[in-house]
Amino acid sequence: MSLEQPRQRDVGVTPDGELDYDELADLLEEYLLDREEHMNAQGFVVRPDEVAAVLETLREEAGFDHLSLVTAQDYQDRYESIYHLKKYSDPTHELSVVVPTTRENPLSQSAAPVFETANWHEREAYDLVGIEYDEHPDLRRILLPETWQGHPLSSDYNQDQPQIVPLREQADPMEHKTQAPDEQDAMFVNIGPHHPATHGVLHLKTVLDGEQVVDVDPDIGYLHRCEEQMCEQSTYRHQIMPYPDRWDYISAGILNEWAYARTAETLADIEVPDYAQVIRTMSAEMCRIAAHLLAVGTFALDIYGDFTAIFMYAITDREKVQHLLEDLTGQRLMFNYLRLGGLAWDLPEPREEYFENVRNFCEYIPERLEEYHNLLTGNELFQMRVLDTGVLPPEKAKDYGCTGPVARASGIDYDLRRDDPYGYYDELEFDVVTRDGCDNFARASVRLEEIRQSARIIEQCVDLLEDWPEDEREIQSNVPRTLKPDPDTEVYKAVEGAKGELGIYIRSDGSDKPGRFKIRSPAFCNLQSMEVLAEGEYIPDMVAALGSLDIVLGEVDR
Amino acid sequence: MSTLLPETISDALGIGGVTGTFLGGVIGAALVGSFILVNTAVAGPWLKRKIMASFWEKIGPNHIGPFGSLIMVADAVRLISKELVVPEGVDRPAWDLAPMVLASSALLGFAVIPMGSILGINVQLADPEVGLAFVFAVASIASVGLVMAGYASNNKFSFLGGLRAVAQNLAYEIPLILTGISVVIFAGSLQMSEIVAAQSQTLLSVGPVDVPAWFGILNPFALALFLVANLAEVGRNPFDIPEAPTEIVAGYQTEYSSVYFVLLYLGEFIHIFLGGAIVATVFLGGPAGPVLPGIVWFLVKIWAVFLFTQWCRSSLPRIRVDQLIGIGWKGLLLASFANLIVTAAIVGVLAV
Repeated sequence: MSLEQPRQRDVGVTPDGELDYDELADLLEEYLLDREEHMNAQGFVVRPDEVAAVLETLREEAGFDHLSLVTAQDYQDRYESIYHLKKYSDPTHELSVVVPTTRENPLSQSAAPVFETANWHEREAYDLVGIEYDEHPDLRRILLPETWQGHPLSSDYNQDQPQIVPLREQADPMEHKTQAPDEQDAMFVNIGPHHPATHGVLHLKTVLDGEQVVDVDPDIGYLHRCEEQMCEQSTYRHQIMPYPDRWDYISAGILNEWAYARTAETLADIEVPDYAQVIRTMSAEMCRIAAHLLAVGTFALDIYGDFTAIFMYAITDREKVQHLLEDLTGQRLMFNYLRLGGLAWDLPEPREEYFENVRNFCEYIPERLEEYHNLLTGNELFQMRVLDTGVLPPEKAKDYGCTGPVARASGIDYDLRRDDPYGYYDELEFDVVTRDGCDNFARASVRLEEIRQSARIIEQCVDLLEDWPEDEREIQSNVPRTLKPDPDTEVYKAVEGAKGELGIYIRSDGSDKPGRFKIRSPAFCNLQSMEVLAEGEYIPDMVAALGSLDIVLGEVDR
Repeated sequence: MSTLLPETISDALGIGGVTGTFLGGVIGAALVGSFILVNTAVAGPWLKRKIMASFWEKIGPNHIGPFGSLIMVADAVRLISKELVVPEGVDRPAWDLAPMVLASSALLGFAVIPMGSILGINVQLADPEVGLAFVFAVASIASVGLVMAGYASNNKFSFLGGLRAVAQNLAYEIPLILTGISVVIFAGSLQMSEIVAAQSQTLLSVGPVDVPAWFGILNPFALALFLVANLAEVGRNPFDIPEAPTEIVAGYQTEYSSVYFVLLYLGEFIHIFLGGAIVATVFLGGPAGPVLPGIVWFLVKIWAVFLFTQWCRSSLPRIRVDQLIGIGWKGLLLASFANLIVTAAIVGVLAV
């Protein structure tokens, strides 16, 4: 579905567009050790010293150009890295490359030379699970402090070991200039973790030459709350659902909940009633509007300086959609509204009044967008600041695994709502907004237009809900009280979150809690592209680029 | 020419000679200084917030006092009672002097500003022949203060802010002064009272309304140039680059707290008012205006300029530092030279 049609059919695709795993297996015959069946795709098991060659072949020959996620996990007899591959042209074509390593020598070849995005994913795998990646350009800890002892998600981790390390043993920040400049007048500046521009506790180790950025190295993990491990210790049915609200906590709660709901419903084979799907779709789009309004508002904050009219207008409008969400879910941020197989409860009574409020909002938003366009995209000073700054070319965006508005602003026509439909999206009409600017301006303008499309979706949902027969308003399907999926069932599913592709990988171990719960955070992947956006730019443009990526540290650090 | 304020005071006290001149000067300066400080007190903690609030569709301070106006007292107490944190490694005398230099240099400019008369008293401290040059000169001392603050703070963000402030002031003071000179060519004098007097003639009469020959009306292009350059001079959006909160934290004022912070902030506000006073004197006929006393008109004009800076601040993006320098050197400098030459030509032709 990409703009440019591939010249010839990729290997492993049948003429009617289906994925043919046998043909892919033939392609990889020399590397293939075994084939596994995951719920979303097949897993090809390969040797740990041939990872790069396999991924290279798959990308060049079979068109798997999107490394969505790298999951590392710990079995009793081995470590395992799973590379979840997709295609930007069709995300339903999925393939997992499974790389087992022995417990004694957990060394696996790095995928970073093939996919840039693997760099951070593998650093996280090394940090938390303890797999070492050979030929990795920069294998440091990423979420935990450099001085941390042991790897917490590994089964031989000693929890009782003291972790307090005195300051003098912490690394000297000046040591880690990855590309130390030769010029004498370069200056190292710590931007963050407490800085007005970082929108949270992000630390950018920046090397400046005058006002220009020579090197930037994002240091994350200040907000790491062990979300994955907490989910692994909670039951599928009820205990996990509140956690997704806390990942992207900027009002994108229902979008996050849906990521878990979709994955767990696939895993346990749960049907969701249509009525509930429509309400899910409506509330998720409300969350998207709220999240995008905040993104645009804070982006304006970065460009305009102090709190300005646009930020305040955006917050005012976000407040309106928050009211709608509050009426629906009883909460403003931590909604906890979705349930496996349905919803917590039906629409608020009186329904007519609620529908009217929603309709008024949907009519109000397009008018309001004109105001935003006048203040932002139509403003010449604003254009001067953001056009052609923070450029992310499409090839780079794919390499870094960028998704969501960031990818769409680089001309990549990729939206899971349309390309891998879930919920009620395939019955609804909406456009996927793309821009070819690849710059900060394009990213802001994609978000503004997506607000319009979300309002369109909400209106269609209200139409459907108004006419829904009263006796068919089923909000919850029949789901057992305790879910115990078969042991060693593996599934990876993603939804289109506010920031991009929000995916979850679950492996069941036969109990009522997941054996491994891995989150694919879109902001984590998007943030990694910061080095492309910022290097060579002025500090103000770096700040603008950071704002245009729209990261939420709760989601980056999990 | 009417009597200046110090003379009026010494006459009223009945003390002549050097002592009288000295006492009159000190008391007059205290009065004018307090008057300006009251204006900044009203502007800074309270009215600015009210103005911004109405731009933002919110309410602003409304809890303490009528319309929240006692927030001025609350804020003053809050700011002054805070601990003065002196960071390690600051360059002490320079670091301490910078806030004082900033605040006092701006205040010094008001010495020569004619603020009109009230109850027959002419409120102007001094009227030297080089009045306008004096104002620009003392206002420029602020740049020294900015560099001192930025360099002495031992903080990289302060340092960047200080460098930006110097670059910006260099790029904008020349157009500012060149535009001012075009007015001097019109008026034929640097003396403030002469400049005001030159604007008091009637340009043309539309029915019963006399349009005065204010330089802002004679040459609106110069007024626009001056307002833009003045925004850069006082560091307000779109030119608030030396502070740029989202980029370099707070620029040169990052490390200042408590009273020093108050002084820096005060310095900025006095600077905005001084910019307003120059605009009023040079382009808007000084204290001239119908019915109301001159000083009221003077206040209206400087507050109008203040409102303009706040309007820009709440709605215009901050441009990038290299763009700012580009606009200053390539755009404003050329425009102000063109303005100067055209003005000189017209004045020359008219004189012939």
